[in-house]
Amino acid sequence: MTSVDIIVQQLINGLSLGSMYALLALGFTLVYGIAELINFAHFNVFMVGSMVGLLTLQAFGLVGQETVLTGLPLVGVLLAGFAMSMGVCGLIGMSIERFLLRPLAAVKGPAAMITTIGVSYVLFNAVLLTLGSDSKNFPNPIPPVSWAIGGAVLRVREVAIWVISLALMGALTYFVSYTKLGRAMRATAQDPDAARMMGVDVDRVIMTAFFVGGALAGACGMIFGLYYNLAKVDIGFGAGLRAFTAAVLGGIGNVPGAMVGGVLIGLIEAFAGQTIGAAWADVVIFSLLVLVLVFQPAGLLGRLAPNKS
Amino acid sequence: MISRRTTIKSLLLSATVIAGAGGFAGKAEAADKVLKVGINLSFTGADAENAARIGNGATLAFDEANAKHEVPGYTFQLVKYDDATPTAGQYDPAQAATNARSMISDRATVAAIGPQMSGAGKAMAPILSQGDLAIITPASTNPDITDPKFAAQYRPAGKAIYFRTVATDAYQGPNMANYMADTLKVKSVYVLDDTGAYGVGLADAFQAQAEKKGVKILGRDKLDPKAVDYSSILTKIKAMNPDAIYYGGVNQAGVKVAKQGYDIMPNVIKAGGDGMQSADLLKGAGFPAVEGWYATVASPHFDEAGDAKAKAFGEAYFKKFNQHPDDYTVTCYTGAEVIIQAVKDLVKAKKPIDRSSMREAIQHVDLKNTLVGPVEFDGNGDLKNKVISVFRITKNDKAPLDDPTAQYKYIGTAPMS
Repeated sequence: MTSVDIIVQQLINGLSLGSMYALLALGFTLVYGIAELINFAHFNVFMVGSMVGLLTLQAFGLVGQETVLTGLPLVGVLLAGFAMSMGVCGLIGMSIERFLLRPLAAVKGPAAMITTIGVSYVLFNAVLLTLGSDSKNFPNPIPPVSWAIGGAVLRVREVAIWVISLALMGALTYFVSYTKLGRAMRATAQDPDAARMMGVDVDRVIMTAFFVGGALAGACGMIFGLYYNLAKVDIGFGAGLRAFTAAVLGGIGNVPGAMVGGVLIGLIEAFAGQTIGAAWADVVIFSLLVLVLVFQPAGLLGRLAPNKS
Repeated sequence: MISRRTTIKSLLLSATVIAGAGGFAGKAEAADKVLKVGINLSFTGADAENAARIGNGATLAFDEANAKHEVPGYTFQLVKYDDATPTAGQYDPAQAATNARSMISDRATVAAIGPQMSGAGKAMAPILSQGDLAIITPASTNPDITDPKFAAQYRPAGKAIYFRTVATDAYQGPNMANYMADTLKVKSVYVLDDTGAYGVGLADAFQAQAEKKGVKILGRDKLDPKAVDYSSILTKIKAMNPDAIYYGGVNQAGVKVAKQGYDIMPNVIKAGGDGMQSADLLKGAGFPAVEGWYATVASPHFDEAGDAKAKAFGEAYFKKFNQHPDDYTVTCYTGAEVIIQAVKDLVKAKKPIDRSSMREAIQHVDLKNTLVGPVEFDGNGDLKNKVISVFRITKNDKAPLDDPTAQYKYIGTAPMS
């Protein structure tokens, strides 16, 4: 491998990692934008998503890397996997809002945030007790096709991850920008009281934000499993913390900001591993976060919505 | 309030211990004196399956001894201790320390078996030393625990109490380096570890010997076992075109090294220690990712088709547990044999059987013909006869793909330094 090949390969690695962080960061940013709340349960909603994906694929009889599908069965199985993980995680997100956070709406202070931390633990331990703590071999039915770009290798699963992530981000952008519910969301983000007066069902909008955030976490869990062929009860914290950092880095509450932040952190992680050692990646990422917060407190792209008091 | 809770807790605890013991050992003869032997392994969590296979060795040995009245007047009773906790998801040194204290506080416990993990051993050894309770480990290989350099830390009371029926990583790493250089003709290697006590020690020992053998060390990196993505570090290694990579560590990072290593550089020779010899690796990473990995075990490989004793053991084991024994099942069985022999020696010499006489007797046990060869301990508790076996994962379609006794193919012993 020449140094150009290495750079290309690390770009591929970083972009794959980054697109996962971006999807996960969107969930944080979406909920924060609407409800002004950091949803710490998001970490483990993501983990539950990968477990649901695992169980769904196993229900189709896929075990490990043994079975490879093509054509219609492949698309069908993947669609089912994504539908299940996104659906279940969306419902979990929605239930968190409806049953745990809404009753706390009138309570000032950090009660709501602490509730989400509690939910995170409940999810973690529920999976731990039912599925155990061992590494699970996540099935990957995508054929092991790859292309050589010079000395670098681009695998079909990386392309699949980019395409799926871009599609989901595109769909989200379209939803927020061009649909009626999306417009209601933006209105609620700007000023919930005014939105309510204009006839927006604010409760429904908030619940939608939690559903969409959860569904994105579920999709991300599924993508994570397909990419690493791995599902494990403790994956939520590491990936979730990076994704949260990505959301803050890009400007929390800002949808394009979360995407930029996610991809940026993925690239930093890849190139830090190449140059100064994998153990230093976190040092670089969090130093950058501190610097950005000192000099640009609103994040790289800033908050698009005006601040609420 | 606090005192009541403590009482309830200790009641519950003793109830579990009794329940565990009841399920694990044979019934005592009415007139026999009961000798308790504690067994501490990681019975739950990530290494549970290995723990069960190891523990079965001791169960079989004591059940046989009790059935045959091998030591007239005495019955052995195994008391099970689990050092894994749900929060750790694997062994927890704090739990191991608690277990060591429980063993000490039961006066009827005269010897112990375990632990599986070196990290647990480091936590238990100082406590057992103070209590003068000898423990025989069938699987923990970190050399520090028995190294006289660290005597003040791991045996503060002075005498050796940590005995092994396995060799240590001071041989496991270097011997694999010899095997790589001599047999696999490896010229360059990249070394990885998982930052754990076992992994770092193993990788260091490997690296030092590899250098001595003239193998070029291309680099050394530490992997955070909780991180998920090793692709960037593996890409960096791939670009250096190594003949081989060596990974010192256990499953948690090992599963990911195997998976991503296969994706990124399928044709590079990959090797690890006994941490990479497990059912959990086969389950977590699976074929084709694990195919071709080399792993070592710090004991002679048990051959079921070997001599009469081996055959008898293999048959008895299969009859009782309906599976084939691991090599560390055999070292555990041997550990139990050592304890039984120590009791026999004491009875013969008409000495009382207590912890300190047991420690002394274990120290001087001299078994010529066990399943792992001659068993004698040096003054630190290490096995005198050290053998490192090399295995290679080779897919065997006829057996379950997560059965380590079928999927790890025995290659031979690794050359001594």
